[in-house]
Amino acid sequence: MSVMSSVLFLAQVQPVPSPAPAKIDPPALDAVWPILIVLAAACVGVLFEAFLPRHQRWPAQVALSLLALAGAGVALATYLSDAPEAGEMAMFNTLAVDRPALFLWGTLLALSVGAVLLIADRSVEPGGAFVATAAIRPGTVQDRAQVTATGMQTEVFPLTLFALGGMMIFCAANDLLTMFIALEVLSLPLYLMCGLARRRRLLSQEAAVKYFLLGAFASAFFLYGVALLYGYAGSVRLADISAAAAGTDRSDTLLFAGMGLLVVGLLFKASVGPFHTWTPDVYQGAPTPVTAFMAACTKVAAFGGILRVLQVAFESTQWEWRGVLWGVAIASMVIGAILGLTQTDVKRMIAYSSVAHAGFLLIGAIALTDRGLSGTLFYLLTYGFTTLAAFGVISLVRDSSGEATHLSQWAGLAKRSPLVAGVFTFLLLALAGIPLTSGFVGKFVVFEAAIDDGMAPLVVIALVASAVAAFFYLRVIVLMYFSEPAADGPTVTVPGAFTTAAITLGVLVTLLLGILPSFALDWAAGGAFAIR
Amino acid sequence: MTRAQLLADDPLWLILIKAVALLLLGALATMAMIILERKIVARMQHRPGPNRVGPNGWFQSIADAIKLPFKEQIIPDTADRKVYFLAPIISTIPAFLAFSVIPFGPEVSIFGERTVLQLVDLPVGVLVVLACSSLGVYGIVLAGWASGSPYPLLGGLRSAAQVISYEIAMGLSIVAVILYTGSLSTGDIVDAQASGWYFYLLIPSFLIYCVSMVGETNRAPFDLPEAESELVGGFHTEYSSMKFALFFLAEYVNMVIVSAFCTTLFLGGYMAPWPVSLIGDNYFNTGWWPLLWFFTKTWFFLFVFIWLRGTLPRMRYDQFMRLGWKILVPANLVWIVLVVALRAFRNEAEISATTILVAGGIVLVVLIGLSFLLPDRAAPDEDSDRVPVTGGGYPIPPLDLVVPDKDAAAPRRVRRKRQTASVGAGAEKETEQ
Amino acid sequence: MLVAQSSDVSSDLGIYLPLVVMFALAAAFAVFSALLGPLVGPSRYNRAKFQAYECGIEPSPQPVVGGGRVPVAYYLTAMLFILFDIEMVFLYPFAVSADVLGLFGLVEIFLFIATVGFAYAYVWRRGGLDWN
Repeated sequence: MSVMSSVLFLAQVQPVPSPAPAKIDPPALDAVWPILIVLAAACVGVLFEAFLPRHQRWPAQVALSLLALAGAGVALATYLSDAPEAGEMAMFNTLAVDRPALFLWGTLLALSVGAVLLIADRSVEPGGAFVATAAIRPGTVQDRAQVTATGMQTEVFPLTLFALGGMMIFCAANDLLTMFIALEVLSLPLYLMCGLARRRRLLSQEAAVKYFLLGAFASAFFLYGVALLYGYAGSVRLADISAAAAGTDRSDTLLFAGMGLLVVGLLFKASVGPFHTWTPDVYQGAPTPVTAFMAACTKVAAFGGILRVLQVAFESTQWEWRGVLWGVAIASMVIGAILGLTQTDVKRMIAYSSVAHAGFLLIGAIALTDRGLSGTLFYLLTYGFTTLAAFGVISLVRDSSGEATHLSQWAGLAKRSPLVAGVFTFLLLALAGIPLTSGFVGKFVVFEAAIDDGMAPLVVIALVASAVAAFFYLRVIVLMYFSEPAADGPTVTVPGAFTTAAITLGVLVTLLLGILPSFALDWAAGGAFAIR
Repeated sequence: MTRAQLLADDPLWLILIKAVALLLLGALATMAMIILERKIVARMQHRPGPNRVGPNGWFQSIADAIKLPFKEQIIPDTADRKVYFLAPIISTIPAFLAFSVIPFGPEVSIFGERTVLQLVDLPVGVLVVLACSSLGVYGIVLAGWASGSPYPLLGGLRSAAQVISYEIAMGLSIVAVILYTGSLSTGDIVDAQASGWYFYLLIPSFLIYCVSMVGETNRAPFDLPEAESELVGGFHTEYSSMKFALFFLAEYVNMVIVSAFCTTLFLGGYMAPWPVSLIGDNYFNTGWWPLLWFFTKTWFFLFVFIWLRGTLPRMRYDQFMRLGWKILVPANLVWIVLVVALRAFRNEAEISATTILVAGGIVLVVLIGLSFLLPDRAAPDEDSDRVPVTGGGYPIPPLDLVVPDKDAAAPRRVRRKRQTASVGAGAEKETEQ
Repeated sequence: MLVAQSSDVSSDLGIYLPLVVMFALAAAFAVFSALLGPLVGPSRYNRAKFQAYECGIEPSPQPVVGGGRVPVAYYLTAMLFILFDIEMVFLYPFAVSADVLGLFGLVEIFLFIATVGFAYAYVWRRGGLDWN
């Protein structure tokens, strides 16, 4: 009904139809095939859900999702071979397909392969980590019956693909309205996916509601920011806002109020402190494969958007806002490092670690140089794979009630399963940024770029925060290796092929980027944002 | 001068006259409709109907209208008083508001002022009517909610679900008309029908609109929100006196609106019907004459409303929703696609009309065939691992049930307390999970 | 964009004046009628009158205003309504300028209807349109 009233307003500016049909050229699609493939596969996935019999849905959806990701990857590679160096505009100038966008697309697609593998796994938790009917109230007879049933919500696959499509558009959006729509397309499936956990349904549903409510607030902030910026610049195009800000004859209040609100919306999605409050609860409550997807891919997409907005639209005014984002970055690192120390739950600990990492990433994002851009892109790549694999490992340590995420239950894990403990140790070291892991290289390039851009004090704070954060990673390692295992402690499930593949992928990339980072650094430094 | 220009020049007094006239029209049409309905349905059921007040009982409506304000107004203790007061007002205002964009006639002269028999010709007239019909739902839902009583709540919910379901069908059936007119203005839509009325040019749209307008106004056979055998009076069970009268008024004004809107969209509005239009260079289409044609057409639809009520039994709720969502909406969409495609191809390329018709026919047949091939829903055995939604199904008394001794029967209060205790235990378990 | 184009806002909104007049009249009439009842009608106190209408002797305590639960099927209908209302709302501007948009508009609107159609097929097949 409110839709009606808004159209009342819109329809009256519709031009009076003239009999001569205007010639509108269909847009060239070769640059956006990866997005189109992902979204089309999501639509086909919905049809699979509608028309396939129940027992065929899971294999069909897994095959479709992986094929779509592979197809999108192939399309991306084909396009990369003869893509223009400076990037190009696609879909009537709404998408800027430039080198950073292509790098982010590649990262997102690769991470999604891992996430889809984790989501598809049915061997760790019999029937998969997702319930068949999420709307059943927790704690009821039906709910208990459902936990033991092996049905699984296969809608999670199309939802993943929709979210991925939204993320890819988000990274490449050339105007703020496209960005907002992409934000919603990526968020709405995630809200749903958070509430589908098979175990601890109440936590899961609470996480979904929290994420939804806070996400809706953040979207509203974003939209208000867009409105104010439109009032300032008379356009929602990033390049136009930049051009308007370069002139001096307009009200700065509108610009900075708009930018502030816009950036709050973006920082929320990237779980940068102090806008991180949803992160620990949602990471803990959501099914672990979804947490992995969210932690890896949403972070990549959100920082892709932040980088583009800051570098394209607000570069000319950077001296006015830089101080504020310094403060935000410091707050995020401090919150992540200090509160991470106090956590007793592994998933919450990784969540606070992600808040700290968001602070490190923000340092790279506010260094508005080419090296800052490439460093942040590389950091995103490394962080995504490490955290994906970490959540994959977390899903393996279980007791009779599901995942054993309390730290005390991880005591002496190395004695039960040296391999899992070893892998997890390696991943924690990568998160802490120890040399020979990708985390070290990522931090190194970001901090180097920040020092080059004159942010040495910030880097010092970041180093201190890293040291503090390293402490709680090490605490887990110590716990796993030097504590006596509890008598009724959790067991480590032997993972099926899917989870093994996902964890292996994450660990290998973490190792590879730690030893031979140069090729990926070259990719990340492929070019700057296209400003048009 | 065009219609919009003429209307824009209206002085304020003329606007006021027109607005008051519309208000009166709504009230009078309601009273006329009520007595006509009672009389006609009575005739259909072989009984005399109202026959006490006035000649043959024709003043019954007037007597009722005078009686209602003098009835006691009762507001239940459980009601939310502010919303309870606002609900009938919310449902009345949009009903009258929708009148303002209906074109009743062409250019006339009122006290020497050239004008058009229409309050306002907006470029978005069609949307105003739809928006008003949507806003009316708020009144119904809020009435049901604010009464604080189970029957009104259910009636209000049903009504809302019903109105919004049929609003989709209604809105989609108008799309084809807009495609042909290229305008959302009601005046333009009437003018565009000078060469042919849309009710035969766009038969599917017309039929769907007719069905959905009955559903939209909650009238028999779709009067489920007021199913007296199930819901007492529906959403206005707790309303009395003038507030009840306002709901009644809104309902009947809405019927007049949808009928008038249907006339405008599909029956050429105020234009003279075919044989009359040939007389004297279409003389009967000028001046005040068109008012006659307009009201004749509108009252025809209103008569059909009464006729339906006298003839058809009430539908079941699931049948009703199925009709709306599974038949009207998809049929509408297929039809819109066909119309759009036909028009686009006719404009684009030089394809003969017969080719288009043949191709369209083939597509239609294929689509209909496909829709029959699809089984209605997945076979139930596939959902064998679905968990039952309710606990133990229906409460079935045990076979060895012993009728409790009168003395031993526990007081009601105690039993309830025990029940809440067990519920509390369940809640604790829930948080443990 | 919208405001910028119309330099003289007052003349553009002037055509809505009759609508405002009509609204004011209708509102005045409705409020007057609603207030009329308690003014001219009788008022004879009786406690039983003020109880909610129910069959049986003791009213069930269930429907507290605002706290009463609404069957979830209605929410589903409401969500479907929003989906299709938005589809409808997009179809209107398209229908107005279909001839201008030509073949490109045709393809776009087909894609749009098909996309909504996927969701529709899903809801249909999963029983979202059935009432039990």
